[in-house]
Amino acid sequence: MPPNSAGGAIVVPPATGLAVRAKVGLVRAWPFLPAGLMLALLFLVPMAVMVVFSLWRTTPDFDIVPDWTLDNYAYFFNTPTYVRTLLKTLIMAAAVTAAGIAAAFPFAYFLVRYVSPRWQRAVLLAVIVPFWTSYLLRAYAWQAILGPKGALNQLLTGIGVTDEPSRLFIYDNPGVWLVLVYVYFPFAALAIYASLEKFDFTQLNAAQDLGARPDQALLHILLPQVRPGLITACIFVFIPILGEFLTPALVGGTEGLLIANLIVNFFRGLQYTTMAAFCFIIAALVTVLLVIFRRYLQVEDVVART
Amino acid sequence: MTGIGAGRLAIELIEATKRYGETIALDGVSLGIEPGEFFCLLGPSGCGKTTTLNLIGGFIPLTAGELRIEGRRVNDLPPHRRNVNTVFQNYALFPHMTVAQNVAFGLRMARLDGRETERRVAEYLDLVGLSALRARSPAQLSGGQQQRVALARALARRPAVLLLDEPLGALDLKLRKQMQVELSRIQRQVGTTFVFVTHDQEEALSMATRIAVMSDGRVVQSGTPREIYYRPVDRFVADFIGESNFLEGHLAADGGARRVRFRDGGAVIVPSELPVGLARAGAVTLMVRPECVSVGTTAPEGQWATLTGRVINVAFLGNHTRVTVQTAAGAVVTLRPHSEGSRSAALDGLLDQEVCVWWSPQESTVVASDTGGGADGSLA
Repeated sequence: MPPNSAGGAIVVPPATGLAVRAKVGLVRAWPFLPAGLMLALLFLVPMAVMVVFSLWRTTPDFDIVPDWTLDNYAYFFNTPTYVRTLLKTLIMAAAVTAAGIAAAFPFAYFLVRYVSPRWQRAVLLAVIVPFWTSYLLRAYAWQAILGPKGALNQLLTGIGVTDEPSRLFIYDNPGVWLVLVYVYFPFAALAIYASLEKFDFTQLNAAQDLGARPDQALLHILLPQVRPGLITACIFVFIPILGEFLTPALVGGTEGLLIANLIVNFFRGLQYTTMAAFCFIIAALVTVLLVIFRRYLQVEDVVART
Repeated sequence: MTGIGAGRLAIELIEATKRYGETIALDGVSLGIEPGEFFCLLGPSGCGKTTTLNLIGGFIPLTAGELRIEGRRVNDLPPHRRNVNTVFQNYALFPHMTVAQNVAFGLRMARLDGRETERRVAEYLDLVGLSALRARSPAQLSGGQQQRVALARALARRPAVLLLDEPLGALDLKLRKQMQVELSRIQRQVGTTFVFVTHDQEEALSMATRIAVMSDGRVVQSGTPREIYYRPVDRFVADFIGESNFLEGHLAADGGARRVRFRDGGAVIVPSELPVGLARAGAVTLMVRPECVSVGTTAPEGQWATLTGRVINVAFLGNHTRVTVQTAAGAVVTLRPHSEGSRSAALDGLLDQEVCVWWSPQESTVVASDTGGGADGSLA
């Protein structure tokens, strides 16, 4: 342990024996025991069960037999529809993330820079309020808005933009995209708000004072400092969308299905071993992404403010 | 200061006015700052000094009037195109850059080539004595060091004018004194026009070559530190800068020399030349600095302004003693420096004694009394 480390309250003299060191290590570790136990019981054990299932086989009679095999994984990669759906899900997640950040960044910037702290709280509360409504309910509400006889179509036919209700808005990918942007906007907004709030805006004045145009000031001074918040926002939007099934199911129709809908289908079809393998492919993808962006993730900021 | 010679001024404000809705932050200020000056805008908070600095920097637009930098009208020029640089009150260093990168930022924006940038960064870090810390990040520096970085960063662009917003405000007392000397040295060394804002009169007196005292959005008086200190134009300036005795009385002509006569008796000779507009008799305030007042049992011969009274307090303050004398004109405070050990002890014996206080008429100032005792006679 370096002397200036956070846990430096217990000083271990260099001559101390190995046994004592181990003991000190245990003493230090024990506060983590409850959390470790929770993690093991609620996360690691179920994951282990999933891994085992994904390597087993389901008989035509829906029995799960412990025949060790990689067939479930091979099945995924050998079926073009599944690979295509995964790719489409990634593209959808990227498109939603891009749009979410494009909307959330100006929103948060305006809020932090031009709104008094009291009103900032009020606006943030308004952003969070939809979370208190059931997701299912909100998805149905969007169905009512985007559907053939929905509010949007009635408005468009009413003012004469279209002659008959358009089916463009629902039961296809654009509808799914729109609703997902709506659902994930608050996550992006809160993550970006948290990092913008810490930014000292006199730095932008300083940059301009030193000859930077306003856009150069944003690019060279603001952006590098809020990058962690932007990456947090990306992670908080991109990764959950890989597991989205409700919105695609309700407003996506047959065209707008995402990878999670396939997994749900296997679940309903009692194909647990195939389902476990598909889940694991996504989990592996998420893990890779998290490892790449881990050092930028600022979970505590978002949690502390929501 | 307007007119033909205006082009030579580093900064020129002509009837500069800034309004925020109904509030007037700056009320028709005209000011000329010569090249190479160490100019100070001094005043209490809310007097408009920081507004003036922000106007020059380009961070807020003028409501009316004109601003010229090196003779060129720059009212509508954005900050990044003005030939001025600012040391911000909180320094506003870029935390994601090293010390050297901070200093280089303005040069990068000016598209200086790499070698020239490197040379200038080294030059200005050397000027502020931070060459050894060039690779540090701002968070690893002390407040005083951060300020030096801010200074080097602003100076590296070699602006016509350097603006400093309460440059020493965030530092502790000892460091502040050190930086006062340091800032003066740097200013003399680079020869750039410095304009700094402060509410600290001592800072203003010790560093500035010229001071503009501001109050309620106006410049009340501008002049050298000595002029401001010894010839304050009104009670506000005298009160804001240093300590002063204010004696209320009436101006009266007694044969040859003019005197101020006090209500409860007594009169003193006033300076031979009085401010314009005070020729007539009327209610006036006579101001005299405590260190100009002498105290003793008998007044010396000659042209002195003399009052008699009783010593009501003697306070030993280390390097000087403060004696308060109750006279017919009111309480008069005198500060006596301890040039020799015996004198400070002798002053202790004055308590409750009947004494004389006297000063040279030339060291006192007379201004028209204002009823409110406010900032500016015209406001009363």
